[in-house]
Amino acid sequence: MFEFLARSLEASTIFTLAALGELVGQRSGILNVGVEGVMLFGATLGFIAAQVTGSFLIGFLVGILIGGLLGLLHGFFSITLGGDQVVSGMGIWIFGFGLTTYIGNPFTGPLGMGRIPKLWGVSPFFYLSIMLIVLTRFVLTRTSLGLKIRSVGENPAVAEVSGVNVTKIRYLCVTVSGMLMGFAGAVYSLDYNPVWNYNFLMGWGFIALALVFFSMWNPLILLGGSLLFGALWQLSLNPQLVLPGVLSRYVWRMAPFAITVVVLMLMSTRWFRRRWGAAKPEALARPYAKE
Amino acid sequence: MRIGPYAVKLRKRTALAGWQAAIISVLAIVVALALFSLIFILAGVNPLVAYREIFSYAFVNRFGLPLTINRFIFLLLCTCAFILPFRAGLWNIGMAGQLYVGALSAFAVLLAFGAKASRSMELNPTLVIPLMVLAAALGSAALGAVAGFLKGRFDVNEIVVTMMLNFIAYWLVARMIKEGGIFMNPGGRGESFEMPPSVYAPFIAGTPFTIILALGVAALLYLLLAKTRLGYEIRAYGKSPAAARYAGVSPVKIPFVVFVIGGALAGWAGYHYFAAVPGVYKISRNYGYFGDLAFYGIICGLISQGNPLAAIPVALLFGGLSIGGRFIQGQFNMSFGVDYALLGVLMITLVAFQFFYRYQLVLSPVLSPACPEPRRRVEGPSKGSCGQKPGRS
Repeated sequence: MFEFLARSLEASTIFTLAALGELVGQRSGILNVGVEGVMLFGATLGFIAAQVTGSFLIGFLVGILIGGLLGLLHGFFSITLGGDQVVSGMGIWIFGFGLTTYIGNPFTGPLGMGRIPKLWGVSPFFYLSIMLIVLTRFVLTRTSLGLKIRSVGENPAVAEVSGVNVTKIRYLCVTVSGMLMGFAGAVYSLDYNPVWNYNFLMGWGFIALALVFFSMWNPLILLGGSLLFGALWQLSLNPQLVLPGVLSRYVWRMAPFAITVVVLMLMSTRWFRRRWGAAKPEALARPYAKE
Repeated sequence: MRIGPYAVKLRKRTALAGWQAAIISVLAIVVALALFSLIFILAGVNPLVAYREIFSYAFVNRFGLPLTINRFIFLLLCTCAFILPFRAGLWNIGMAGQLYVGALSAFAVLLAFGAKASRSMELNPTLVIPLMVLAAALGSAALGAVAGFLKGRFDVNEIVVTMMLNFIAYWLVARMIKEGGIFMNPGGRGESFEMPPSVYAPFIAGTPFTIILALGVAALLYLLLAKTRLGYEIRAYGKSPAAARYAGVSPVKIPFVVFVIGGALAGWAGYHYFAAVPGVYKISRNYGYFGDLAFYGIICGLISQGNPLAAIPVALLFGGLSIGGRFIQGQFNMSFGVDYALLGVLMITLVAFQFFYRYQLVLSPVLSPACPEPRRRVEGPSKGSCGQKPGRS
């Protein structure tokens, strides 16, 4: 049982990091639906780099770097070129999915390095993810940078006339956002489950995207959501640990996705929207061109 | 920006003629293939040789061509399943899930006729085949309806929902064909029972009859969008849901209708691959591969700019490229997944080229500056604009 709880916390770490990245981007008004693609890139290239060099540190750095580059690419398409953010995000996802399948294939199999030591029974990245949540919450609500980010996400035209450089803030957020997603992928492939396989994420990134909608763009609620989904996901992977012999394991694999759809539906009801609807960044997914 | 004696400017397009869109699309494909040649070079293969092999295997070779045509039918149906919601401004990325459910529904008909017990069973093809086609459409339309209903009624993000449904359908198929599921092959092997040969899809001129289905769907979809009231409503909703609402277009009906029809078309793609392609005739163990291929439908739909007729040549080209990619992967001992890599490179190039559908580059010769800009004159106050002699009034 303790094993299960520890694994759940480790699973939630990956959701937290990826969803936190998405949240930072969305608070500045940039929607990136390609979370899964960025994570796949971070995971695959981080895995390859770690295996080739024999160093975890280099693996994580490569994962973060490629995530940041993909974030910049998304920023270039959606900020500089002013294109449709959904098209660009889909592009990054399919790009990641297609190219990592090809690049990673010769490295199929286990990483073949020791496991990263645990801290009080849980992966150290879990504690790191909590610290990042607190830090993001602090920056967003208590600093002038956070105010700028939020104003750019709510109304870029007003932010611009009050002296905020919208382009700069959005590029910053989108890059940090990509770095966190790439890091989440690297945590998956180097710590959580250090085995490379074709399209191994199977929906982690999309659940992370949905978690941001659940969180009402609040990092603390996001943490709660990812803890819940971490446990649920872990249960769906190993139902026999908790409920042996109840339902087929394939039915368990469906559960997180089905629950996501139901929660999204409940959140979209009129009752819910009237109460909490204002949390959504007003300028989300709208391209902004300086007049 | 300047290039030689010309100034380059960006101008927002007000309208995009069909031929201009076609040129941009062709250019995007050419650039993507040029970029992709980097992957060949890195793998130590001469890209020119590689492309020659790809095209000659896919479109000339007598083993490759039938594969290309079957892939083309599949891709065209997936593309149409993407295009209809796309014209309404909605993203159906659930073709994978819809085609799994379509295939399951078609095989459920066989199950109902007791075909699981014995492959040599004689079923009446004129009854069973239309029933299978119908069941495939209904099953996957039901899955599409979930996304359409949630979008229309509650405004739930359809990208997340269709993707979630993809995973649900993926594991549903696994539940049905593996570990004691009701569709399981009696011999185990993690695949479904095999179809009786008596209900194999009939052939027309050497290809499964689904080619007529696919081409008919593309033509009908074109007519639907261009000539009917529903098509007009779909396009209006796609341009601006709010404005369409003032014009009396129901914001609940349109998402529902496009996802139901789109889902049904993806279901036929599932029927085609698992029940009509020679050599398959079962839900194979690698069914996830066909779900992945369905994402080519997104690219085809974007490149053809949502035009179902333009999707026909695009789907044929990409069908050939994906078949040829797999072929040379074996031919040159390249790593697995050349067709996946091609998918990725095509997609990202296309995203970059979206820019040119909205903007055009204008070249204009730079004239010798007739009017030096900061006019610093001392002789008298002047408000005259360039070209006018100051102080004439």
